[in-house]
Amino acid sequence: MHFAAHLWMPFLDFVFMRRALIGGLVLACSTAPLGVFLILRRMSLIGDAVAHGILPGAALGFWFAGLSLPALTLGGLGAGLGMAGLSAWITRRTGLREDASLAAIYPISLAAGVLILGIAGKRLDLLHLLFGSALAVDETTLTGMLWVSGFSLIAMALIYKPLLLDTLDPLFLQTVSRLGPLAHGLFLTLVVLNLVIGFQAIGALMVVGLMMLPAIASRFWSRRLPVLIAVSAVLGCLSVWLGLLLSFYYSLPSGPAIVLVAGAGYLLSVVFGPVHGLLRRPPLLSSQ
Amino acid sequence: MITCTALRWGAPGQPLTPPVDFNLEKGSLTGVIGANGTGKSSLLKVIAGLQRPLAGKVSVEAPRRGGLAFLPQQQHLDRQFPISLQELVAAGFWGVQLSPQRRSQRLQAVLADWCLSGLEQRPLMALSGGQLQRALLARMSLTESPVLLLDEPHAALDEEGQALCWKHIHAWHASGRTLVVVCHDLASVRHHTQNVLQIKSTGCLLGPSKELIRPQPQMQVA
Repeated sequence: MHFAAHLWMPFLDFVFMRRALIGGLVLACSTAPLGVFLILRRMSLIGDAVAHGILPGAALGFWFAGLSLPALTLGGLGAGLGMAGLSAWITRRTGLREDASLAAIYPISLAAGVLILGIAGKRLDLLHLLFGSALAVDETTLTGMLWVSGFSLIAMALIYKPLLLDTLDPLFLQTVSRLGPLAHGLFLTLVVLNLVIGFQAIGALMVVGLMMLPAIASRFWSRRLPVLIAVSAVLGCLSVWLGLLLSFYYSLPSGPAIVLVAGAGYLLSVVFGPVHGLLRRPPLLSSQ
Repeated sequence: MITCTALRWGAPGQPLTPPVDFNLEKGSLTGVIGANGTGKSSLLKVIAGLQRPLAGKVSVEAPRRGGLAFLPQQQHLDRQFPISLQELVAAGFWGVQLSPQRRSQRLQAVLADWCLSGLEQRPLMALSGGQLQRALLARMSLTESPVLLLDEPHAALDEEGQALCWKHIHAWHASGRTLVVVCHDLASVRHHTQNVLQIKSTGCLLGPSKELIRPQPQMQVA
């Protein structure tokens, strides 16, 4: 009883903890299907590229409008989509490998962001942009997160079928429907939107961790897509909750704490997961 | 039904043939033959509208959406994709209006047709190449497209599977659909198709398969 109380107490007693928890949980739920689909589409790296891409945009927004949510969001959204689009465009036009094209975007974005922050007078902490602080989620940011998560989940439910087919067999989808590119575009927009809203809560790089780690870990638990998404959401929520508790009781930075808990979940899944986990040998190919 | 006018296709700047013209009649069954790299698969993609021709025109008299079904070679599928055989096959219902009950009956019938009953819940990674190929063919059976393009449908199929596949091809043909089948097995093409489109780097030849393909014993000597 006493121990259980420790698991809830901080969230009941402190508004900032409650906001961080709610924001983190909704973010974990809306990034779960995005992360799973990013992996299936072999686009795991795009999260990183976009997260870095957000930086110069947010820095510009900050430069012109100060620390305002709409400015940071718009700047981040524009830059994130721009960077993802630029890399996709270069790949399509020149045949440069997708991972190379994305890898070229990181340093450019990061350096541009740092440069702009330098010019802007360093009033905004770079570390805060990259790693954020879930404990600083205010009312406005939380409302923004709820909207974005709700919108993402509804949009993902609507494009689930075409996105699934576009991922598995784009040639087939193209012959029966023209929804493929639309689903792909909307999906990428959702990824950027979630990263942008998340970077203000737990930081640009941390939200990528929250998006990708539970999704990758879920692969060790099931072979069915809906289950993968559910497992990923549960792992993400657990990471947020445990991470915030760790951060509260041991005075740790909240973003890294959440991501490291998710990382621990990933490593445990690699070892104990029933689907091709290390302890499951030999790999079962014919199990039902 | 499928008319190609002064058509050139291939990688940008590297057309595979001189401009070609041909017309595949409505309700015809055409085999496409040619050596590796002559552009059989890309021709199907160009006809399916999945790849742009370098020059010339392709016109297909079929509805833009769902009018044309394309069976690509299976190696482009991600075998680790977390869905079951049944979900893969059921994608063939896209754009087809049926009540859930009819849908389920039709799905069961098609799975039985392709000898896939009992494998419904198998994940893709647990299917053999032949089972996956039959699943893709079963998916095609569910579409109601008047034009069917098949790229090496017999690949990965055993003898029984190949016979099953030809049986379905003939059934589709008999129901009035237009079929184009890429196949490397000349004897089968000669035996099963009316017309054959032979692709060479010097151009295309369209004619009765019995005339364009010599009987098999001679082929083996040559």
